[in-house]
Amino acid sequence: MTTKTIKVDYLARVEGEGALDLHIESGKVTTANLRIFEPPRFFEAMLPGRSHKELPDIVARICGICPIAYQMSAVHAAEDAFGVTVDGQLRALRRLVYCGEWIESHALHVVMLHAPDFLGFPDAIRMAEKHGDAVRKGLALKKAGNGLMKLLGGREIHPVNIRIGGFYRIPSRAELAPMAETAKEARDHAVDLLRWVADFPIPDARHDYEFVALHHPGEYPFNEGRLVSSAGIDIDISEFDDKFEERQVAHSTALHSMIKTRGAYLTGPLARYALNYDQLPETVQSLAREAGLGTECRNPFQSIVVRTLEMVYACEEALRIIADYEPPDQASAPFEPQAGTGFGCTEAPRGICWHQYEFDADGTISAARIVPPTSQNQPSIEADIAATASGLVEEPDDVIRHACEMTIRNHDPCISCAAHFLDLSVHRA
Amino acid sequence: MTAPSQGVLVQCIGNPDRRDDGAGIAVADRLAGCLPDRAKLLRRSGDMLALIDDWDDCAALVCVDAIASLGSPGTIHRLDLSCESIPSDMMPMSSHAFGLGEAIALARSLGSAPGRIVIFGVEGTDFSDGVGLSPKVSQSIDPLATRVIGEVATLLEETAHA
Repeated sequence: MTTKTIKVDYLARVEGEGALDLHIESGKVTTANLRIFEPPRFFEAMLPGRSHKELPDIVARICGICPIAYQMSAVHAAEDAFGVTVDGQLRALRRLVYCGEWIESHALHVVMLHAPDFLGFPDAIRMAEKHGDAVRKGLALKKAGNGLMKLLGGREIHPVNIRIGGFYRIPSRAELAPMAETAKEARDHAVDLLRWVADFPIPDARHDYEFVALHHPGEYPFNEGRLVSSAGIDIDISEFDDKFEERQVAHSTALHSMIKTRGAYLTGPLARYALNYDQLPETVQSLAREAGLGTECRNPFQSIVVRTLEMVYACEEALRIIADYEPPDQASAPFEPQAGTGFGCTEAPRGICWHQYEFDADGTISAARIVPPTSQNQPSIEADIAATASGLVEEPDDVIRHACEMTIRNHDPCISCAAHFLDLSVHRA
Repeated sequence: MTAPSQGVLVQCIGNPDRRDDGAGIAVADRLAGCLPDRAKLLRRSGDMLALIDDWDDCAALVCVDAIASLGSPGTIHRLDLSCESIPSDMMPMSSHAFGLGEAIALARSLGSAPGRIVIFGVEGTDFSDGVGLSPKVSQSIDPLATRVIGEVATLLEETAHA
């Protein structure tokens, strides 16, 4: 029996710090562990004893790329506990700031981190020498997304303008209006990038994922909806623990989330797209068809196409919201804190971000649970790595290593969020 | 301050809430009002990719930032990228976060990097949470600001005759 071990001691072009251990025995992959060694960050332990007013600003610190996801899940959970309804233009502004986050996060991942894998470049810097136009458009999209986050969040990294009930300050029509031209240009860039990525040499693969995403009858999901799956789950977000559980694994400081009765599942762009195709506007559906996508996509390597399509959607949604904007009378809905438990679940760029908080009568946080998207996707990512490596066991380690890293980047993991990242070790026996 | 078209851009980078990482911003505070008309002063933090947007219309760039200690906190280092390469430890490519070295390399690939780039780094020693520079870094701020003013004058002259 021959044993082969391939190690990637530090995975590049993903967020956070982790490694990959791959064990190959007698030509078969026996273990594919995404070993996350970034130390735990203790946010759930830090929050109890803090005021509800501090909640959005503390959870924003979980991630510099997707802070809005954490803020939105947190404020929705608090509003659930306090009986607050945020609707009308305030709700629309929340979708708009989420559009900003999707645009900047997807642009960064698609162009700067993931595209070099398909085109045979070691990084975006070398890729820019041959694909400068695409890189410029990616940077322009990131800037446009950041601009929306800055306008509505006060700043693009760790925004400070999000509060329970709405915002501390809302923009005037005049302040928001210039963003329409930016969003229109961003939409054109995103369509160009969609055609660019659709022509990439995309490896064949098909995985039988159980997709999990929010589903809202009237819109492609950002902030609200029921939790649904491709295998029939259809629950209120408060029933998460009925169907899902978090498990400790020895090789990761991030918990692994599983469906209790079936195991691994996948959240993120592929899941959102498959479960919410009908919620996309016809313009976006038409572009999906042009890009070669059906009503669902089970090839993880095509996630780059779906992610780019979601950028187009986010730009169109931003344009719609800006065009319809009438400043509301109040920047936030009034509320009084009360004792209770609240749940929030929103769609981070890389998948559902589920929160649960318990509050005392004065609004002090007494318990917090945060289930980030990357910890939910880890088991599926490991299964994908095993599938990728299984077809390459006789190849040199460098080939296996590159294919595995590419496989991981299909899912845009945010390891710091999960807390929770990559070195590759291949152990061949 | 509106900027020069084809002038010199001074980008001071840092986070004053992480002690010595605020050295660049402290230098910007000293430089405010002290630079000639064809120089533009910007304070920047966070996203290094966003720095590229600032470089569109400048002929020369001076960056000021804190750097990790090499054993002598407060020591000022000058890197002239017209005659020195970007050190490998400025190119980590390891996360969603891009560094200054990567931003410069990317701008060069795109053909949008300024013709001259000079980086001043001051060695820090305390990058913990909180406000206030460590004593040796604090003492280096005035001399560093003086060197930046001199560098800007030289670069303006060079670019005027280029």
